[in-house]
Amino acid sequence: MAGELLLELQAVSHVFADGSRGLDGCSLGIRRGSRNALLGANGSGKTTLLLHLNGLLQPSAGSIRVDGCTLDYSRSGLAALRRRVGLVFQNPERQLFSASVFEDVSFGPLNLGLDETGVRARVAQALAAVGMAEQAERPVHHLSFGQKKRVCIAGVLAMQPELLLLDEPTAGLDSGMQEDLLRILDDLSARGISIVLATHDVDFAYRWADHIHLLAGGRCSASFAASELPQQAATLRAAGQAMPAVVQLHRSLVARGVLPAAPVPGSIPQLLALLAETPAVEPNLDETPSARQRSAA
Amino acid sequence: MLIEQAAYGNRWRRVSPAAKGSLALAGLLAAFVAATPATAAFVALLLALTTVLGARVPAGVYLRVAAPAVGFLALGSLSLLVAVGTDTAGHLSWGLAPDAGPRIATVAGRSLASLTALLLLVLTTPLPDLIGLLRYLRVPEVLLDLMVLCYRMLFVLAAAVRDTLTAQSARLGYASLRHGWRSLGLLVANLTVQIWQRAQALHRAALARNGGGPLRFLSPGFANAGRDTLLAAVAGAALIVLAAGLG
Repeated sequence: MAGELLLELQAVSHVFADGSRGLDGCSLGIRRGSRNALLGANGSGKTTLLLHLNGLLQPSAGSIRVDGCTLDYSRSGLAALRRRVGLVFQNPERQLFSASVFEDVSFGPLNLGLDETGVRARVAQALAAVGMAEQAERPVHHLSFGQKKRVCIAGVLAMQPELLLLDEPTAGLDSGMQEDLLRILDDLSARGISIVLATHDVDFAYRWADHIHLLAGGRCSASFAASELPQQAATLRAAGQAMPAVVQLHRSLVARGVLPAAPVPGSIPQLLALLAETPAVEPNLDETPSARQRSAA
Repeated sequence: MLIEQAAYGNRWRRVSPAAKGSLALAGLLAAFVAATPATAAFVALLLALTTVLGARVPAGVYLRVAAPAVGFLALGSLSLLVAVGTDTAGHLSWGLAPDAGPRIATVAGRSLASLTALLLLVLTTPLPDLIGLLRYLRVPEVLLDLMVLCYRMLFVLAAAVRDTLTAQSARLGYASLRHGWRSLGLLVANLTVQIWQRAQALHRAALARNGGGPLRFLSPGFANAGRDTLLAAVAGAALIVLAAGLG
């Protein structure tokens, strides 16, 4: 069943109560088991789109289809959607409302109507999945920002969603924490969970995602496979995004004959690995260090 | 924060809250059973020693937490010294209460014993565990929801106040009294909006996890809860019998 559309937005528009437009005729599809990045600048409509995917906002126009059926906005319809689609908000302080880690993670599974044994098992699994099993009994306010973020993910994972939505998951995390988060996302993806994350970081989106959906001014301007991104310079520019640094660097090295044009690396570590396999270029011994600095300047 | 620190750092942290609750309840009953101030004081001493020596709550922390309550008790006792009434001419008059000494000693002794019983509970039991116990005792959900949200938001708002105060101070917001008042007003106005926004966000977060009704949570389990509760009940009963026996 891999590759089938799990969720689909068909010309979805959303107008807020104050008249401002959050989404404008946005169409995109999320395939089962895929890794998707919603890439756009601040205010481009990423969060609004995620809120639609979880049924927290209803389109002013257009429709959302789940497994090919139009989304049902009745109480039971929304409960069924949220059972399958979990949303992790950007700011953990606005998502965690219980006093302790264990309690907060138990909130979702209890709302699913599971019995106590089932809830305890799910909480334990979810906390283990994000590496927070040791912190289960700590109060939320004793945790670091990165730990709170993990608890937020565990709170959603405990509901065992098919699709996980994450709003700017790397915001506010240092590089070590970002690597930890990537490992967690890789594990979840390997388990078959579809993931959609909103980000404004083109390097991160290119490195992590299979599919990239570009947003600009509330419009879904393009959707393409991440491997096609280097050919999308004009589309990226129109959405106010730069080409990923690794692509720019690779092109520069290809132009100087250091690396072949293919394969195109997805990240700096991959680029370094390619360079390590390439025979070293003899340095120009006539050029002095001071001359090199001058030419760089 | 001192209470938090003790509640999470004491030797009885992993003991079932039901056991600690039973002991505290027995302490409260013993305080009321104690007929003389000396007995009440003895019960208070036993409970305080149990907290400090049994649960290993540092004596310094214990005294600092108890100090405001003891101060309040002292003030209350002083007010009992004074009796207000009318004299023979029907005018309002006040003077030293005739039987104030024994009455104050009894009230103060019992209050002190009750205080130490409550301190035994709150200094050894983190609030989430206590809420779990209350949930088990079928306390109405709405009260528990309020307790959970107040406890959580207390720390969120404390952080928001700290951040805003720092940002204001960094731009000389409190450089003079006049500026200070203005900054304080801005702080309150800003917090009001923040509270409203946070409430909206938390509601949305609850909906996203299929919440919308009562906030239901599951507390972590405690090993040997039955054994510990039985032990606490026996110890509590012994305390009540001792208080009644001493008179």
